[in-house]
Amino acid sequence: MEYALSVKDLRVSFYTRRGVFKALNGVNLELRRGEVLGVAGESGSGKSTTGLAIMGLLPRNAKVSSGSVLFDGRDLLAPLTSIRKFSTGRNESAIRKLHRELAPIRGKRISMVFQEPMTSLNPVLQVGYQIAETLVIHNPSLLASRKLARVRATREDTTALLKVIKENEGSETAVREFVESRHLKGLEEQALFIWRRNDINELRKERLILDLCCEKVGSTTKRLLESLEGGMGITKAPVLSRLLRRVLFKEGYRKAVEFLSTLGVPNPEKVVQMYPHELSGGMRQRIVIAIALINNPDVVIMDEPTSAVDVTVQAQILELVKDLKRRVNSSFIFISHDLSVLGEVSDRIAIMYGGRVVEVGPKEIVLKAPRHPYTTMLINAIPTLDGREIRGIEGEAPDMRNPPPGCIFNNRCPFAMDKCRKEEPPSYKVSEDHYVACFLQGGK
Amino acid sequence: MRLWIYIARRLLILIPTLVGLTFIVFALTHAGGNNLILAEYINPRLSGPAREEAVAKLTAELHLNQPIYVQYFYWLAEVLKGNWGYTNTPIFSGSVTQAIALFMPNTLSISLFAALLIWVIGIPLGVFSAVNRDSVGDNAVRVTSFGLYSMPIYLIAVALILALGVYLKVLPFAGVVNPLLVSNVPWYHNGISYPTHILLIDAIIHGDWVVAGNAFLHMILPSLTLALGVLAGVIRILRASMLEVLDQDYIKLARAKGVPERAVYNLHARRNAILPTVTFFGYTVAGLLGGAVVVEEVFNYPGIGYWTTQALLNNDVGGILGSTLVFGLILIFTSLILDIVYAFLDPRIKY
Amino acid sequence: METQKTEYEADRFREIKTSLSVFFSNKGAVVGLVIVLVYVVDALLVQFFPQALGLKHPYTLVSNYVNPVPQPPSASYPFGTTFPGVDLFTSILKAVRVDLGYSLFVVLLGAFIGTVLGVISAFAGGIVDEFVMRITDIFFSIPYLVLALAIGFVLGRTLDNMALALAIVWWPIYARYARGQALSIKEMTFVEAARASGSGGGKIMFRHILPNVLPPIFVQISLDLGTVVLVFSVLAFIGFIPNANVPELGYLASLGLNYVATAPWTVLFPGAAITLFALAVNLVGDGLRDVLDPRRRS
Repeated sequence: MEYALSVKDLRVSFYTRRGVFKALNGVNLELRRGEVLGVAGESGSGKSTTGLAIMGLLPRNAKVSSGSVLFDGRDLLAPLTSIRKFSTGRNESAIRKLHRELAPIRGKRISMVFQEPMTSLNPVLQVGYQIAETLVIHNPSLLASRKLARVRATREDTTALLKVIKENEGSETAVREFVESRHLKGLEEQALFIWRRNDINELRKERLILDLCCEKVGSTTKRLLESLEGGMGITKAPVLSRLLRRVLFKEGYRKAVEFLSTLGVPNPEKVVQMYPHELSGGMRQRIVIAIALINNPDVVIMDEPTSAVDVTVQAQILELVKDLKRRVNSSFIFISHDLSVLGEVSDRIAIMYGGRVVEVGPKEIVLKAPRHPYTTMLINAIPTLDGREIRGIEGEAPDMRNPPPGCIFNNRCPFAMDKCRKEEPPSYKVSEDHYVACFLQGGK
Repeated sequence: MRLWIYIARRLLILIPTLVGLTFIVFALTHAGGNNLILAEYINPRLSGPAREEAVAKLTAELHLNQPIYVQYFYWLAEVLKGNWGYTNTPIFSGSVTQAIALFMPNTLSISLFAALLIWVIGIPLGVFSAVNRDSVGDNAVRVTSFGLYSMPIYLIAVALILALGVYLKVLPFAGVVNPLLVSNVPWYHNGISYPTHILLIDAIIHGDWVVAGNAFLHMILPSLTLALGVLAGVIRILRASMLEVLDQDYIKLARAKGVPERAVYNLHARRNAILPTVTFFGYTVAGLLGGAVVVEEVFNYPGIGYWTTQALLNNDVGGILGSTLVFGLILIFTSLILDIVYAFLDPRIKY
Repeated sequence: METQKTEYEADRFREIKTSLSVFFSNKGAVVGLVIVLVYVVDALLVQFFPQALGLKHPYTLVSNYVNPVPQPPSASYPFGTTFPGVDLFTSILKAVRVDLGYSLFVVLLGAFIGTVLGVISAFAGGIVDEFVMRITDIFFSIPYLVLALAIGFVLGRTLDNMALALAIVWWPIYARYARGQALSIKEMTFVEAARASGSGGGKIMFRHILPNVLPPIFVQISLDLGTVVLVFSVLAFIGFIPNANVPELGYLASLGLNYVATAPWTVLFPGAAITLFALAVNLVGDGLRDVLDPRRRS
């Protein structure tokens, strides 16, 4: 089976003054196309580190001692794994190299939503700018065609377009065909966006669609946009690049407004002009999600997107994720410490402990019939309304500077056997799609 | 709109500060007792009854017999009228305001030149150092700035004089101009150029490029000394600020959305890193003005600082307190301007 | 109760141990500490056992008007001489005591006044706070070198007054800093707890807030000492003390200024002595800051 992304035997340690913390100890994960993979575990289990490692956003004291992140046939972390002996300087330059190499992928093919909406946005830039920036970096030709389409379209074109939309009741394929036949690519999403709005009445919609035409631009700008549309990059010529960027950012704002509106942001025209501190936490999280999704990436990593917001906003964001799952064809990795949240959104769930994946399987099976003792205990620790007794997990999390030999859970496991203290359990297949790293499951 | 409220508030805070500044200067003037003040005005050769008479007359005239807080208002009124007292030093005798008008242009020109050097050297180096953290370049910048930070400014001055002035002989290091060049120039006499009193500008106005070039050369070493004296602090603060910003979540997000590294530093990080240091530039200005006192003394550069040290050496109250007042005013108004600039740059300011 | 106490002490001990290990893992700080100790030993020797260094007049400069022109370094004058025939090496040995002593005085007095006012200001709040802060504003509105010069001038141009003037100029820094620290500590839960358990205002201030404000203040002192040494020598250099015969590094440097083109050692040696000291103090201060900064500890 072809995976959207796979993590193989990933090992990451953090070098600190207090010692070397082994954060990931051989993580294996496969993300299938179009699925939502939930990753659960207590703090320190390595779930966030996994997310950051996939993005190549590890801090400067992190060493990737082995393993790979395979995406589109290449190992994303190659520059980091090539370091033999750890030193801050060497790591620093490897990380710089990594940033250089991954910049074209990040935000375009893989993107990430962080836990803290309050601090994830740049305080001195308008949110519209921050959304438009991803578009200008990764998809300038789209912006160019959107703009050029409005320049090229005549009143007659838009009148016909409106007719097509009305006749087909907003069918995407019909509109796309029409637009292509008239060489107006880029117009379809703008027209459909207007058509699907429900905050204005029919008449106004029609007016707006008809007005998607006859824009005037200067001849230099037009030439620049055309070369961009033809597949050339953004020009590097000093004055011209500035001119072009200004036009592109303006168009980016326009697309950002459309996109925010589909994410349920009220009054998006105003919002894009605002600075992050003027927005609420839930709103900022939507902006961050918009930044992550606007380029239709293949993989989206959501690192506890609901942990820092209050319960009602959490519910809204979960709805949004579920809705997105239906609408877009990205694959999601959804990281959370909250199993009930994962139960809502995931297709499969992976449970992490001590920097390893201990159990992974379809969400119904993992939540209803867990096979790993840790998963069982984790599920028993979820508070419910039916008055079932909550049982915490006894014992302390292992010291990750010096993890116990064998199964990393052995010091807290009620079923620990001698074998568990000596050997590391492999991943056993217990049923279709369900894997558990525990000797109880296959250790004959 | 909010911004105007902020600026209005900032202007209101200015009032107590100005009152405080003037009060300190007033208090210092009077701390030495009336005799010190009278000495400024009275003919030292007078004695006996003639002197007593003069003292009594002046005491009444200057309101020295009134309660101290009343005197403050009389004094303040005089200061506002432009009567800042008299100064008597070998380089200038006359009213304090005249002295300031003569000396301030020179101080301003080397301070501004130094500020420019700090701007073009300090900010790129601080950013470079943070971005290339722990690299050879970073370590070199850090060690150098740490060393500069620990040097008294006169040592920097002397080291530069020795290296560039005495051994390499590429730059002059005394005064504002080679006196031979201006001995026959009509718009320059007694060490004062007209009309702006800034020799460089006056020479350009009169089209005398030789003098202008020479005056510029004379500015380099004092300005460079001043800049180096303050630079280390600027680099350290900026590097620390930049490192802190680079650790922020929004930088992580910028990278996560594929912003190229150069734009991460130049667009996302630099502005956030410089913002908190804008207010810190108040310190820079204080450092520049304080440093000017030493630098002008070492380079015999006739500015406010040189005048201050001359006043000190000649026990001249008018000169010392006049320069204190004018230095205070400059600092207060520059920090006002910096605060307003900061408010313009940072959208988060809300009051 | 007993076990709790020993546990607390064990924690405290562990805390001190990590602090020391953080400090000593910083090579610069250790080098700085050694240099500072050398200066301190020199100052103490000059103060108490001048004979040990072979100094006949430990508290004054010895001039030689027979041969006042600066002489280059030689066997009998390792650092050469400065105008008027003053031996630089022994003078620097003597001057360290003066610079170190006065700078410590300035910083400690400034820190004391500033900390007390800052903590009171933070604790009292309201008008008191506003008043103290406006006063610090006024002090910050004049370049400190110029203000110290003016105050010292009015007090009278002596070494003692120069130090006093600097202390008067220096306290507002500590007032602001201590106020900031005290304000953040005031909000912490353990202070809330003390208040909830009925401790009085004074007790909270001195038992809970002050001990927590002091460590960062000490770090600030160590960071400041280097600056104060420099400012002190700069004031002496520009001629604050008239016709002094005191061994002070800035004054010593100023003696040779007119000869600097032909006799650079007259300024470079005293200047280097003060730079080395400031450098060492700054290194120690940086090391101490690392110890207190939780982010740098990891």
